Amino acid sequence: MNTEKQFLFFICLCLSFSHETMAQSTFQVGCLPSINFNYKLKNDWALNFKIESRQLLQRGTFNDDSDKNYEYVLTDYSFIAAKKVGLNSRLSGGYLFRFRGGNAIHRLIQQYTVTQKLPLLRLAHRVVADQTFSPREATEFRLRYRLAVELPLNGQSADPKEFYLKISNEYLNSIQNADYDLEIRFVPLLGYAITEKHKIEVGLDYRINSFLNQYARHSFWTSLNWFIEI
Amino acid sequence: MFKHIILTIAIGVFTICSNHIYAQKKYEKESRLKEKNVPSKALGFIDSLEVRGRIRWYLEEGFEGTSIEAKFNLNNQKHSIEFDSIGNLEDIEIQINWSELQKPLKDSISFYLGKDCEKFKIQKVQIQYSGDRSILLSKIKTGESTDNYTVRYEIVAKCCNTKNVSLFEYLFSNTGQKLAIFQIVFKNSSNLEY
Repeated sequence: MNTEKQFLFFICLCLSFSHETMAQSTFQVGCLPSINFNYKLKNDWALNFKIESRQLLQRGTFNDDSDKNYEYVLTDYSFIAAKKVGLNSRLSGGYLFRFRGGNAIHRLIQQYTVTQKLPLLRLAHRVVADQTFSPREATEFRLRYRLAVELPLNGQSADPKEFYLKISNEYLNSIQNADYDLEIRFVPLLGYAITEKHKIEVGLDYRINSFLNQYARHSFWTSLNWFIEI
Repeated sequence: MFKHIILTIAIGVFTICSNHIYAQKKYEKESRLKEKNVPSKALGFIDSLEVRGRIRWYLEEGFEGTSIEAKFNLNNQKHSIEFDSIGNLEDIEIQINWSELQKPLKDSISFYLGKDCEKFKIQKVQIQYSGDRSILLSKIKTGESTDNYTVRYEIVAKCCNTKNVSLFEYLFSNTGQKLAIFQIVFKNSSNLEY
């Protein structure tokens, strides 16, 4: 077999493998609306309270029929206190309460963020460690890194009555019962600054996980966020 | 006794004030401006500079009014030229390196920054020219220096004190005298953090 034929065979093998893998992968489609309240305190402290709900509209495998029944999945309530520790950085800690299928799930959150203002955009690096406790499952430990970019569509910053793009990419490492998993998120959103204190964002929240150990699980959420500065 | 109380209060007030920088806050809303909406006077000035690269036009709205700004690169230097709302030239700012400043000027600026901040870091230095339009045009095009225009320096510095870290924009004269100070206010970033 000459080199060209070997290369062609390799490409065909990759395509057939990826098609096979994709066919057995599962997916879910749904909505992820959230509302974020932010409150500034004295001495560089700030509070964040967030409610996020998850609703499933469709799920299945790529090569099979899918279930299109609507299903309410969960609601998260999180409360985070943050302290500015540098010019553009903040150290935060908080608690998340999740209500899912009649069970209460608790999560502790530790977060460090750095926001950079560049001439035509803003960048935010976020490192989060969290620990999730639930009565039915072993404690899950996660370490996450997210890079988010805000690109104003008019001018050098997203001012009131202006649109912006917010694109983020996050890598979530998790360990539960000695099992390691990696989740990757890609979230492109279109935002609109209604006023200095109100912003809304809508777009896709794509997540892929379980691909290291078995068939990948893809999630396509329609994300709808409302940020309110009190 | 009364004198002692007054003196104690005065010292207390002075101590509190001396640890605090009195700076006006700087809020600016800027939006992109299409070239067709730029006043012809401003457009004419920029055309005379024969800029080869891309020119970005902005409309800036602040407490002091509305202005128009052109931003571009010329001779590998970032230029920012500000006009009033009808296109009259206000000033020309060129970004330079801290190391390009003369030592006495650097010493004077450092002295003022050292008074305001326990620790400081200079983030941006711009030389600012203002004066007659044709003299400044000639200055930018040929680089020739005359005494017929005003030179100032705009310094953006990160200022660290025991209780806080802030970003300030200072304006200094060409001899290094402090003329103005503004605190740069950051836009809230909660949508990038949560």
